[in-house]
Amino acid sequence: MAETGCYLYAVTRAGTTSPEGTGLRGAPLVAVEDRGLTAVVSEVDLTEFGEDGLRRHMEDLAWLEEVARAHDDVVRRLAAVGAVAPLRLATICLDEDAVRARLGEWHAELDAALQRVEGRAEWSVKLYVDRADAAEQAKERVSREPGAGAAYLRRKQTESQRRQEANQQAADAAEDLHSVAVHHAVASRRLQPQDPRLTGDTGTMLLNGAYLVPVGDDTFAQAVEAFTTAHPDLRVVVQGPWPPYSFASLEPQ
Amino acid sequence: MTEPGDSVPTARAYATPMSRAAAPQPANLADILERVLDKGIIIAGDIQVNLLEIELLTIRIRLLVASVDKAQEMGIDWWRNDPMLSTKSKQLADENRELRSRIEELESGDSSSSSGSGSSRSRSTRKQADG
Repeated sequence: MAETGCYLYAVTRAGTTSPEGTGLRGAPLVAVEDRGLTAVVSEVDLTEFGEDGLRRHMEDLAWLEEVARAHDDVVRRLAAVGAVAPLRLATICLDEDAVRARLGEWHAELDAALQRVEGRAEWSVKLYVDRADAAEQAKERVSREPGAGAAYLRRKQTESQRRQEANQQAADAAEDLHSVAVHHAVASRRLQPQDPRLTGDTGTMLLNGAYLVPVGDDTFAQAVEAFTTAHPDLRVVVQGPWPPYSFASLEPQ
Repeated sequence: MTEPGDSVPTARAYATPMSRAAAPQPANLADILERVLDKGIIIAGDIQVNLLEIELLTIRIRLLVASVDKAQEMGIDWWRNDPMLSTKSKQLADENRELRSRIEELESGDSSSSSGSGSSRSRSTRKQADG
């Protein structure tokens, strides 16, 4: 029989959740408790999730996507019923005793992390600027008439100035949007703008903000919506609520 | 979402995207990866991959999640030679340079509009604002 380990998805408050359903590879979710904290885990095969397996698989984007989505799915289910502190992908202990030991060791920090996110959810606000117009302009007809080269270069220069102005305006808008969101959030984080190769979105991302917002508080959504309505030329994408991934971290006590 | 009594409305809220721009869709991979790999609670488990290799892996994923500019800022550019990640930007830059010099060459034989090409050379000093 293959060796197994405990894959940790998240820590919650004991008693607020009784994990149902399955996690990775269809294994049932198990609650491991220690002094008021619960780690939600499931059994994984160490052939796949051991050190060798992880080293091999983590370089495989398809494998990574599958595991990341499964991890996120469990965390979401837990977040829907109580405060949750998600663990980073691929946190694996050898058995439940080892999981309990981690809960004990980090008890104060985990408790503080849960307190910070309790009753709150994460919202993602992104601002994109589309380059379709610029691309259209760039696809100009090529003329062979005398002087066409100079005219072409002049046009390119004007275009580049126009583009620079547009970029500045969009950057300002991103700052404005972030300020609006921050004003209505408990905490905020600016994440790296995402690479189009991974998002598949052709626009340029100028804001990738994460905001911690009280559950049931509509003012955040309303403020962002008002901004979006006032700027019909901008593409704002709001997604949420997310489990509070960006705000559940272990901080020194 | 703290009290058991709150759990039902919260559970429903989780299925509600709020966006005028896009139809409801599952979170994209970049959104998920940047959160499950880069955020959340970090506790060392019993299973650990060689640190050096984790770092390499992280860099590789960072390149997919984070911006290429940032990586370059950090002095990381090995991806230029990674067939999976490298773009054709270098190639395009070379082609651009070649085309520009060709245009200038053509312009030099066309005295009627030489003023245009002179000022265009100053373009190289403009701020690089494109992503």
